Amino acid sequence: MTTTGIDRLRAKISNIDAMPTIPVILRPLLHCLDQPAEDIDVDRIVELISHDKSITAQCLRMANSALFIRKMPAETVRSAVMSLGMWRVRDLLFSNSLSKIIPANRWVVDPEVFWRHSLSVALVSRKFAEMIDYPDPEKAYLAGLLHDIGTLVHCMVAPEEFRAAMEKASREHIPLDEAEQQLMGFTHSDSGRVLADAWKVPPDIADAIELHHRVADPERGGPLVALVNLCDLLCRMRDLGYGYVEYRQVDFANEPGWMCLVLKFPGMAQIDLARFTFSLDEYAREVSDLVASVFAG
Amino acid sequence: MLNETTMIKDKAAPTENVSDPAWVRIRDLIYQVSGIYQTENKFYLLVGRANRRMKEVGARTPREYLDFLTARANRDVEMRNLLNEITIGETCLFRSMPQIEALRKVVIPAMTEAKKKISFTKLRFWSAGCSTGEESYTLAMMLLEETQTNLKGWTFEVVATDLNDRSVAKAQEGVYNDYAVRNVPPDYMGKYFSKVGSEYRVADSVRSHITFSRLNMLDDSKMLFMRGLDVIFCCNVLIYFDAKSKTRTIQHYYNALVPNGYFFLGQSESLYGISEKFHLVHFPGTTAYWKPGEGALKAGTP
Repeated sequence: MTTTGIDRLRAKISNIDAMPTIPVILRPLLHCLDQPAEDIDVDRIVELISHDKSITAQCLRMANSALFIRKMPAETVRSAVMSLGMWRVRDLLFSNSLSKIIPANRWVVDPEVFWRHSLSVALVSRKFAEMIDYPDPEKAYLAGLLHDIGTLVHCMVAPEEFRAAMEKASREHIPLDEAEQQLMGFTHSDSGRVLADAWKVPPDIADAIELHHRVADPERGGPLVALVNLCDLLCRMRDLGYGYVEYRQVDFANEPGWMCLVLKFPGMAQIDLARFTFSLDEYAREVSDLVASVFAG
Repeated sequence: MLNETTMIKDKAAPTENVSDPAWVRIRDLIYQVSGIYQTENKFYLLVGRANRRMKEVGARTPREYLDFLTARANRDVEMRNLLNEITIGETCLFRSMPQIEALRKVVIPAMTEAKKKISFTKLRFWSAGCSTGEESYTLAMMLLEETQTNLKGWTFEVVATDLNDRSVAKAQEGVYNDYAVRNVPPDYMGKYFSKVGSEYRVADSVRSHITFSRLNMLDDSKMLFMRGLDVIFCCNVLIYFDAKSKTRTIQHYYNALVPNGYFFLGQSESLYGISEKFHLVHFPGTTAYWKPGEGALKAGTP
């Protein structure tokens, strides 16, 4: 980001009322879920969900949908949570609360497309993390989910310029951050960093948000940055991006992110990337169902 | 992007059958043997095809059928039968648009840019295992269209080969029914086909760019003559080879390609464990294998 870019971004964001605010439910939720699955306090989750009528309704609807056929209908939040499993509940909670961050009339990108991409990168990052024995797959999930929150800032503080960048990117089939850099002087990773700091997002996740398009920065990018960078790219190449096609060739084994991870995780050498890529199509449906469920409420 | 290895006509099998975990193991086995991957959201296709085989051999459950594929004496034969069932004659023109788009938007522009510098204005494609010609004509139409628009002054040829004489003869006829041409873009239909009775015949302007011939890919001496190809398509062919022949054939393809050439498999086929010389590369909605060359176009450039 150029100095003038930073100045312009700061100037816009100094009008703090325009910044997206962190949803009330999110902070306790982040705290509650930031631990191994077996240690998660189910009662606390049930309680959090019960505070929010629309999330309650969604959990019940999803638990009783055809996807989770059960003998008896789930009638309580608790039985819905048990039936869906903690991961799915978490997906639902995050997407629900995050989808309300900015008012419906302020979206410049299609919110469903945005969440489809964010959730896909989250799921794929977790899967990829497990595959290479990255020690904290849940962190990878969260970093994937939040990696593009900068676009929310853009929707709020620079909607017209962002719209132009989005149109340029899809017209020229180029990466969004390139179009942003050209037209705005800064990208969603820059503004994402500002928002992440304002929300007090854990620093390594904030780094992933800021650097997921700039992995080559040797001073700063760690494995989490590289992981999100690769999974973002994979999703974009597999029709889980921003709703347009980027015409390009990606040789993952020669991507800076890949080379960074290979050094630290021997498991990378054994990855059958072709097979992993094919299997992404399996996520597409799960993600679509989830997003549809969030937007139905 | 969804793969199209198997096609639509199968009736979905009963759901309790589809969700049997033995299918995952059968899927993994198929992948291991053939490199063809069936995503779980398309299991009903796999199940539909495999159910026919199960009836044939008398297996009552997927678990039992798994035994036929792994433990019985004639397991290799049964695997072959299953693979035949999965890939059976289901082919049409313009079957995989992501592959065509990758060629038009990424591969060909980069390739022709590099060739122009050495004043070489010809493209050579090989449709290896061309079966009844659908893929060969698709490539020729796409290239013909390109040389009439973005690549004026360029020439091209498509070499199409298959082991099976009858397939080659059928390919040479170039006559297809409604179902085979269902994906052809409407303007191509008008330009490159004429109606013959209830069927469609490919125009001579397309045919003249293709040479069809019989070729056994295991015939080393013949394969040595295949050289200087820019792009090779080889969809659902390798499944018929054992591991050793696969490696040998892939080496032939590798040698046949020019540096910076591309090797395309079926939409859900992989070379994992067969060759490490090629680089797996991703395009929107599809993958291919790239032969690195000196002064290579840097991977990852748009």
